[in-house]
Amino acid sequence: MKNRIIVIFTIVTFIIGFMIAVQFQTTNEPERDTRSLFELRQALTTEKERQAELNREIDRQLELLYQLQQTEDVEDVMLDAIEELREQAGLTEMGGPGIIIEVKPIFDESYEGGAIRTVPPYLLRMLLNELNMSGAIEVAVGNERIITTTPIREVNGVTLINGSRMTQFPLTIKVLTNAPEDLHHAVMASQSREFFSYENFNLEVTPINYVKLPPYGNTLRVRYMNPIKEDS
Amino acid sequence: MWLPILGLLIGIFLGLFTEFRIPDAYSSYLSIAVLAALDTLFGGVRAHLENVFNEKVFLTGFFTNIALAAGLAFLGVHLGVDLYLAAVFAFGVRLFHNIALIRRILLDSWFSKGKDRKETQ
Repeated sequence: MKNRIIVIFTIVTFIIGFMIAVQFQTTNEPERDTRSLFELRQALTTEKERQAELNREIDRQLELLYQLQQTEDVEDVMLDAIEELREQAGLTEMGGPGIIIEVKPIFDESYEGGAIRTVPPYLLRMLLNELNMSGAIEVAVGNERIITTTPIREVNGVTLINGSRMTQFPLTIKVLTNAPEDLHHAVMASQSREFFSYENFNLEVTPINYVKLPPYGNTLRVRYMNPIKEDS
Repeated sequence: MWLPILGLLIGIFLGLFTEFRIPDAYSSYLSIAVLAALDTLFGGVRAHLENVFNEKVFLTGFFTNIALAAGLAFLGVHLGVDLYLAAVFAFGVRLFHNIALIRRILLDSWFSKGKDRKETQ
């Protein structure tokens, strides 16, 4: 009798132990990677590109370091570096081959609705993304240079870029690129052109040999970055 | 005495090494079932210590409690009411109650043993 009770208890504890272990394993199971082969390849390519970019950056910095170590007059090299950084940040006027996009409102006979005052920000964002995808180097909308931190938002029904109102028509978008013809075709065939037409806008694109982009006019405020010390 | 603990350890090892897993959607049912099983186990231990242990009651209670708890949780999910909380509450209260009773019985027997030894000396 006593033995039987112990056997029953053993069976029951065995079942409980098994259930606890299964439950433990189920809740501790890490998130499964459900990416397909194609997605994995894509991710790998992105990472490789990133690596190549980082390597290039390291090379550049090493070269700069070498220059600084070699030359007696460090000031020139540093000034060059600062100028290059200013160029990267969009604080200098830039020129070169590119395209000019003119955004004009179109009214056909069946047009109903109010006056068109401004280009909606989502369209501009879409266009900028497509331009960047198709090989744009620098972009300026109206008189405002687009830099990394440029805000494009709508305030009281008017689109603001860098805090300036974009109400003038036609709105000119100047784009600097190495291959103006290609970018011209890309914009003409782009999805954003279609979306612009839904909102009664027409895009006119002209490739040009020399286009001049204004510098970023406002002061760049760095609020959340601090210089780190050499040894840290 | 040690055989049930050995059974528990073997069960845990087997569960961990067989890589047996249940879908995420059912893990809440399993947790309720574990709770019900533990409750029944401690109830059985208590009954055994009180000398009222009945293996038929214990075994049927073990399996019906598990099934009922999981069924209640299942019903709750489909009714949109957190019915599993009722099971958690009931089993939780009973679990604590049983463990408290087991503790008392063990303490009583231990102290009475000590007293007996003193009296015999």
